[in-house]
Amino acid sequence: MKAASFEHHEPTTVEEAVSLLESLDEPTILAGGQSLVPMLRFRLARPDTVIDINGIDSLEYLHEEDGYLRIGALARHADVEDTDVIADRYGSFADAAPLIADPQIRNQGTVVGSMAQADPKGDWGSVLIAHDGEVTARGPDGERTIPVDELFLLPYDTSLMDDELLTEARVPAPVEGEGSAYHKLKRKTGDYAMAGVAARLVLDDDGRIEDAGIGMTAVDITNARAADAEAHLEGERPSADLFEEAGELAAEASNPESDEHGDAGYKERMVDVLTQRALGDAAERAGAVKRRVPQ
Amino acid sequence: MSSESDNTTEPTEYQHDDDGGPQPEKHCGHGRGGMGEEVTRKEDKRFITGRGNYVDDIKKPRMLHCEIVRSPHAHARIEDIDGSRAMALDDVVAVLTADDLLEHGLATMPTLMDDTQDVLVNDKVKFQSQEVAAVIATDRYAAKDGAEKVEVEYDVLDPVIGAEEALEDDAPVIREELDDQDDNHIFDWETGDAEATDAVFDAADVTVEEQMEYQRLHPAPIETCGCVADWDPGDDKMTVHMTSQAPHAHRTLFSQVSGIPEHKVRIVSPDVGGGFGNKVPIYPGYVVAAAASYVLERPVKWVEERSENIQTTGFARDYDMTGELAATENGEIKGVKVDVLADHGAYNAAAQPSKFPAGFFNIFTGSYDIEAAHGSLTAAYTNTAPGGVAYRCSFRVTEAVYLIERMVKVLADELDLDPAEIRRRNFIPSDAFPYESATGWNYDSGDYEKALDKALEMADYDHYREEQQRRIEEDADKLIGIGISSFTEVVGAGPGKQCDIAGIEMFDSADLRVNPTGNAVLRVGVQTQGQGHETTFAQIIAEELGMDVDNIVVEHGDTDTEPYGLGTYGSRSTPVAGAAAAVAARKVRDKAKSIAANELEAAEEDIEWDRESGEFHVAGAPERSITITEIAAGAYMNHPGSEEPGLEATNYYDPPEMTYPFGSYIVIVEVDRETGEVDFEKFVAVDDCGNRINPMIIEGQIHGGLAQGIGTAMMEHVTYDDNGNVTGGDFMNYLLPTAKEIPNFDTGHTVTPSPHHPIGAKGVGESPTVGSPPAIVNAVVDAMSHSGVSHVEMPMTPDAVWEALDEAELTLEPSANVDFAFDTSEEPADD
Repeated sequence: MKAASFEHHEPTTVEEAVSLLESLDEPTILAGGQSLVPMLRFRLARPDTVIDINGIDSLEYLHEEDGYLRIGALARHADVEDTDVIADRYGSFADAAPLIADPQIRNQGTVVGSMAQADPKGDWGSVLIAHDGEVTARGPDGERTIPVDELFLLPYDTSLMDDELLTEARVPAPVEGEGSAYHKLKRKTGDYAMAGVAARLVLDDDGRIEDAGIGMTAVDITNARAADAEAHLEGERPSADLFEEAGELAAEASNPESDEHGDAGYKERMVDVLTQRALGDAAERAGAVKRRVPQ
Repeated sequence: MSSESDNTTEPTEYQHDDDGGPQPEKHCGHGRGGMGEEVTRKEDKRFITGRGNYVDDIKKPRMLHCEIVRSPHAHARIEDIDGSRAMALDDVVAVLTADDLLEHGLATMPTLMDDTQDVLVNDKVKFQSQEVAAVIATDRYAAKDGAEKVEVEYDVLDPVIGAEEALEDDAPVIREELDDQDDNHIFDWETGDAEATDAVFDAADVTVEEQMEYQRLHPAPIETCGCVADWDPGDDKMTVHMTSQAPHAHRTLFSQVSGIPEHKVRIVSPDVGGGFGNKVPIYPGYVVAAAASYVLERPVKWVEERSENIQTTGFARDYDMTGELAATENGEIKGVKVDVLADHGAYNAAAQPSKFPAGFFNIFTGSYDIEAAHGSLTAAYTNTAPGGVAYRCSFRVTEAVYLIERMVKVLADELDLDPAEIRRRNFIPSDAFPYESATGWNYDSGDYEKALDKALEMADYDHYREEQQRRIEEDADKLIGIGISSFTEVVGAGPGKQCDIAGIEMFDSADLRVNPTGNAVLRVGVQTQGQGHETTFAQIIAEELGMDVDNIVVEHGDTDTEPYGLGTYGSRSTPVAGAAAAVAARKVRDKAKSIAANELEAAEEDIEWDRESGEFHVAGAPERSITITEIAAGAYMNHPGSEEPGLEATNYYDPPEMTYPFGSYIVIVEVDRETGEVDFEKFVAVDDCGNRINPMIIEGQIHGGLAQGIGTAMMEHVTYDDNGNVTGGDFMNYLLPTAKEIPNFDTGHTVTPSPHHPIGAKGVGESPTVGSPPAIVNAVVDAMSHSGVSHVEMPMTPDAVWEALDEAELTLEPSANVDFAFDTSEEPADD
């Protein structure tokens, strides 16, 4: 790698990082470097200053606390893969983590970093959408919480201020009768998604869908919510017909472009397929029992 | 080999050993690492412990770094180059352009096909990322900073992308600087007998035709190309450590291009991280680094970035082929025709060692006894990087094998015959060897049916055919496809009468020196990029002299110490240099006999060599024996007056013929009707490379090549947009398979020795890359052929397969297909 030269800062506290953000001219934050390092290597990114937050120990956490799954800014994708509470209770997270990039990158790349990167082909944005997640930003005036639906504006563009540091991503801890899943279609390990869908369902005591969340990857200018599909599911009992309708609604809500990953019509169709598959797994994990429809 | 060439198999002087040579599956058996033993690779210790020494590991005092300024345009005239802003940077030492190279006669260089390529563009850019200028600086970052500051003014021209477009009447002429070149046509080539083939087609019960593209690939070795050039003005000597698959040939070419006498040029190919044909050509970066070192009198390092490697160095394939078969109604193939449109890029720079412009493509009759064959080919210039290298194959064999193995499947479907059965009906019979094909090749040995039968059994073929039918009948979500490829390769160039590089005939060499203490050094003219030569060649010597494999060291890659050779590619190392090593060992053994006679006080004619024990003994008195170690001591300390002291021999081996390894691969896939995703259910590879030297290394070679075959069939493609921008020029867009995409391989083998090779061996390293893509495509097509699908183009990405399913009305409406009941921890009740 032959990056252009830059000034490298290593704060050890969030306060120090925020004051650097405020004082330096257009700095870039380095966490796992999953996206930044290749951009430096191609010299597509040419920052004068880089604030490397890897020395901020207080951001290294991933745990359930106060009714949330809290993911600190230095929790790596590999940490998500290796954390028991996620394997036990957060199906969509457990599905998504091993599908990201390759093991070397998962050891470096962070969940919060990919939220800040706001790549529409990123996986975590869809998972957070399905879980009605939010992120915490710290700036000179203190801390604020941004719901995920208000975070992504455009490809690689978020509602974060220039002097704000994203410190945490979190989702509400699952309730009784909740299940989630993530399905992704890609050409190979390490490749971005051709399309991906995260789904979350909460079933009530009666077996009806009390709450539904569906987030979509790589089929719009940002990670996107399939709101009509969610609304269509709520109040109904899971069934093949219902999920087929939800799949169609999600596909209609998607807005993919043709590119090297596949043609737009194909991707839209895949949103339908992946939505149904993710809903199927989510329903099963929520405690519903699968029964094959006689053909 | 053209049909008029002399194809008689002349036995060489050393063809037969006095004891008949190693026999199939029964080698020396002395347990010291001879033929057939799974000796652990000697070279792995240094690789695994991080002690490999690659070009980019080399650091020399006062060494400078070279970065190349490349054109963003595919077709443009250079109006002006201004390096002053780069020169103004503190660490930049020089900016070189074509004008600077002209002074030293280095502005252009010959390609391996006698075309002339700009080292740095003098007038007109002909492909994106072509070399325009070079910046030399004190470190690699500064060199890159400097390259960004070089200002180039371009007059952008319309690019010509695609061979078909290039041959249109109104296409812009890319190579207008060439005399008599007023279009983009390079050459036409014809092979076989057109008239006889037409006659066979006219009389045929059935004919089939299919168009197929072998897409542009890149060999993509993990180590990119690079060099450290070091001109020593004290000795007037140029030393270049470079990523070279052919150091001696490159020395000769370097000398010819630079005017430095050949004995003052030293090429060293240190550890090389994969070649696959990509490191056979000379690239401008090597010449620029050498020129800069000469001018600046300091060592200069040039190492490509990944995208430079993919975008500018030798690509492979890019053949648009139309195949036709003529057959009887019971599937007996009578004739084959093929027409090819070849995209050669901006220069004709194919790494083509045969005397024919499309290399060994006329092996397209494959494993089948076909009466008549005809091929025609047209090659064109386009505004894309030059290439057409032999990516892990003999030149253009891969395309030929793909064509015939795909066409056999097309014919089988047309006649509703089992693809295994139709192959059986057409194989060259095992008793027909040596066999001369309709295009003039002289096959050495083969038993194709045996390999196919073994593969069918390993694949549980009948079971999967039943399962395939069951899924079709039950309208299952996932279809089964079974693909077969029963390929024949032609590897091991020479013979010199048919194969050369820049006029140098393609022999190879070995120089064996046994030391007084009984160990030995073998120097070979070939070079290794991961093939395991340091082990395999030592095993040949262990076999032939009864030595312990640990007592033999193999050296390669340094032109100052190794005998002249033509390098490693086209699976030629074992067929050619392996033969030379065996012959050199036998020469040593001959001399050893006279020393043994002296030591044992017996007549030389009474001394016998025993392959089993690896010892020499007196005839009729096996207890009077002596080992090569004791003989070595005698050669230096007690040599008989009748012989010179010492114990060494050299052999330059010009093979009488190529060798023809073969095999049968069976691939079973599951195709997802909702997504178009393809999963490998089973992957069987039965190979026959004659006598096997190290089965473990062969297995490793097969695994690696199959992985590359999967990359070819499923994901790899160097793509361009209409403006000539490379859109598949890095590993985010040029997709290589990883371990996750590679299924478990079931490998097997048969042994049909080569009758003309001293140890009965054939090359094997490339069989899997050549043989597997048609098996994989045949499998995917087979999953859909009941609905009329006859072809799917590579790479078979999920969306491409889904399109094929959709056209055949085989896609499934997305469906959950399951209902749900809520689990109240009791028996699920109906809703």
